[in-house]
Amino acid sequence: MSDLFFLPDLASAASQLPWYALLVLAAALAGEAVQRWLRLPRLLGWIAVGGALGPHALGLLDQAALDALQPVLDLALGVVLFELGQRVDLSWLRRNPWLLGTSLLESAFAFAAMFAVLLALEVTPLLAAVAAAIGISTAPAVVLSVTRDLRAQGQVTERALLLTALNCAYAYVAVSVLLAWLAREYAANWRIIVLHPLYLIFGSLALAAAFAGGALGLLRLLGRRRDAQFLCVLALVVLAVWAAATLNLPVALALLGFGAAIRMLDRRRLFVSLDFGRVGAILLILLFAIMAARLEWALVPAGIVAGGVLVAARFAGKALGVLALAPLAGLPLRKASLLALALTPMSGVALVLVHDTSRLYPQFGPGLAAIVVAAIAMLELLGPLCAHFALVRAGEAADEGR
Amino acid sequence: MGVELELQLVNSRDCDLTRAASDLLSQVAKRAHPGEIKPEITESMIEVSTGVHVRYDTLTQELRAIRGVLLEVAEKLNVGVCGGGAHPFQHWSDRRIMDAPRMKHVSQLYGYLAKQFTVFGQHVHIGCPDGDAALYLLHAVSRYIPHLIALSAASPYYQGVDTAFESSRLNAVFAFPLSGRAPFVQTWDDFNAYFGKLSSAGIVDSMKDFYWDIRPKPEFGTIEIRVCDTPLTVERAAALAAYAQALARWLLVERPHRIAEDLYLAYTYNRFQACRFGLGGEFVDPVAGTRRGIGEEVLATLEALAVHARELGSEAALGEIESIVRQGNDARWMRERFADSRSLPDLVWRQVERLRARA
Repeated sequence: MSDLFFLPDLASAASQLPWYALLVLAAALAGEAVQRWLRLPRLLGWIAVGGALGPHALGLLDQAALDALQPVLDLALGVVLFELGQRVDLSWLRRNPWLLGTSLLESAFAFAAMFAVLLALEVTPLLAAVAAAIGISTAPAVVLSVTRDLRAQGQVTERALLLTALNCAYAYVAVSVLLAWLAREYAANWRIIVLHPLYLIFGSLALAAAFAGGALGLLRLLGRRRDAQFLCVLALVVLAVWAAATLNLPVALALLGFGAAIRMLDRRRLFVSLDFGRVGAILLILLFAIMAARLEWALVPAGIVAGGVLVAARFAGKALGVLALAPLAGLPLRKASLLALALTPMSGVALVLVHDTSRLYPQFGPGLAAIVVAAIAMLELLGPLCAHFALVRAGEAADEGR
Repeated sequence: MGVELELQLVNSRDCDLTRAASDLLSQVAKRAHPGEIKPEITESMIEVSTGVHVRYDTLTQELRAIRGVLLEVAEKLNVGVCGGGAHPFQHWSDRRIMDAPRMKHVSQLYGYLAKQFTVFGQHVHIGCPDGDAALYLLHAVSRYIPHLIALSAASPYYQGVDTAFESSRLNAVFAFPLSGRAPFVQTWDDFNAYFGKLSSAGIVDSMKDFYWDIRPKPEFGTIEIRVCDTPLTVERAAALAAYAQALARWLLVERPHRIAEDLYLAYTYNRFQACRFGLGGEFVDPVAGTRRGIGEEVLATLEALAVHARELGSEAALGEIESIVRQGNDARWMRERFADSRSLPDLVWRQVERLRARA
């Protein structure tokens, strides 16, 4: 034993917990700075700090730390998608079917445009299809976070949230089906090809329905007190995230479904609309910082041209889809253009999809990764700016980004 | 007569007021519709107004047609539209002023009062043969203002609390410097002289700067009664207008009151009683000095109006007024619904459904 036994053992004190707190602190400070001096969305600061501290830059957060943070990331993603799911009103699609048309069209066009670009870049068709399917989704965390930051309300905001929820769902379904084809490439037997996507899609939906039913049952007992509802729902969201992860189901799809189902099944309006407030804010900071830390910035130069073309094609596809049906869906063209712009962000979910894909089929991962990572890196910075600009210009921000 | 109604725009998610007026108006502009649909001071309000009507049934028809167009567009945009004098739980600081010069001016002048003025009223215009008759009518009708307040009251909840008032909306109007009653002038020339003095002193630019309970509207040749909360249905709005119309006809034809400053003796007391207790409030007759319930007063007045209602073809409307006295006003309906569900958002959604429902 050392003579100076009373001094703390610094090596073992440097466990994970204080690092996370420091990460949140640094990211929060950077976010405030970005917001105050540049008048831009806070999440750009969070992303910058995450990217800078990550293993691919300064390396303060190493791969082990990031792996240890995986459950937090799943939870954050689950909370965001749950919140998105319960914010959108699917019955709107019944009242205004052109919105469903818009959603299908923008997703299909974006998919087609990206698929064509990737084929032209001589990516094999199957890989191109998977990447294009991943690109269908708009980043739910970005759209939600920008909306909340600006306290935006209005047609562009509501439609951006609805279209985001839908295109995330499409992306998951499309990727699940394509992964089955991929499995065939790798000579898996037919049962995997058929059963795996079915399991992913219907498993998630069943989980979502079960949790929504259970949650409403509990809420009936609890009454409408906001605090009690908040705790109850938060606990259920954590459980749902855990259940989905344990059952190897896509957390995002399951939680998106949970949120949407609770809103849809709640005929007596038991469920007080809630956002996760400060808890949600911490999770969002971690989500963006960790996502940015995991981004392999080294891959960006290799994929920058291909990524740039991909981003442009994706935007063109989405814009075409949104604008084509705008007059029928009841949106002036100026606002429709802003809506298309608001759908630009792509990040978290896409990266998780690439991650999941490469984990299941390691041979497949790296080839595609460079292009997708470059596109994500570009959109990670451009996306929030586009969404921010779109909502402010649409006149839907509460206080013009102040 | 003509009617203006200020309606609330709420979202379907948590039933709070939402920003939708501009989006709604840009869609409404593409459709042919009767009457007018116009913006109001904040993005969460919309105003509809009818043309000039002589008969109650055509007024009801037009209001229903306007409602039809408005709801069709609102449905497409996923916006709820409802009546009621105030939103039960909105926070005034969240409101956003419409992007129009006059609105910006009002907002700059009145500061937070402009945003707090997110309340929703029904204005009834009654045509008058000439300016002097308008001023006679204005002073004579002021005695009946408590009736209209109590019959239309639909704002018991404000900023998330039960205010104990049946119409809390009028309390928001009091804060404005030029609110309350019109000055006691009896001829149109005297009124012009009064307006001239205020206007040369730079206090007012136009009639719009007066927030009186009743004000003359020379452009239309009407007096405008502004004390009613927006009712929960357009049918009730039409009935209130018809009641005011019959009242005006009775007052102008039979001239039952001698106009004197004394008519206003009990004005603020009666007005308070009507806002606070609705039809159960007390009414003090300023001339005789007697007191009785506002509900009883309305029933007694309905008897005097029966002949005139027959002339005007609005007996059905007066029947509706009588049923309000007997079965309770909208404020009571709102309190009952809230007692049912203990949820203000749920209450708002029922208001939305009530406006939508065909009577």
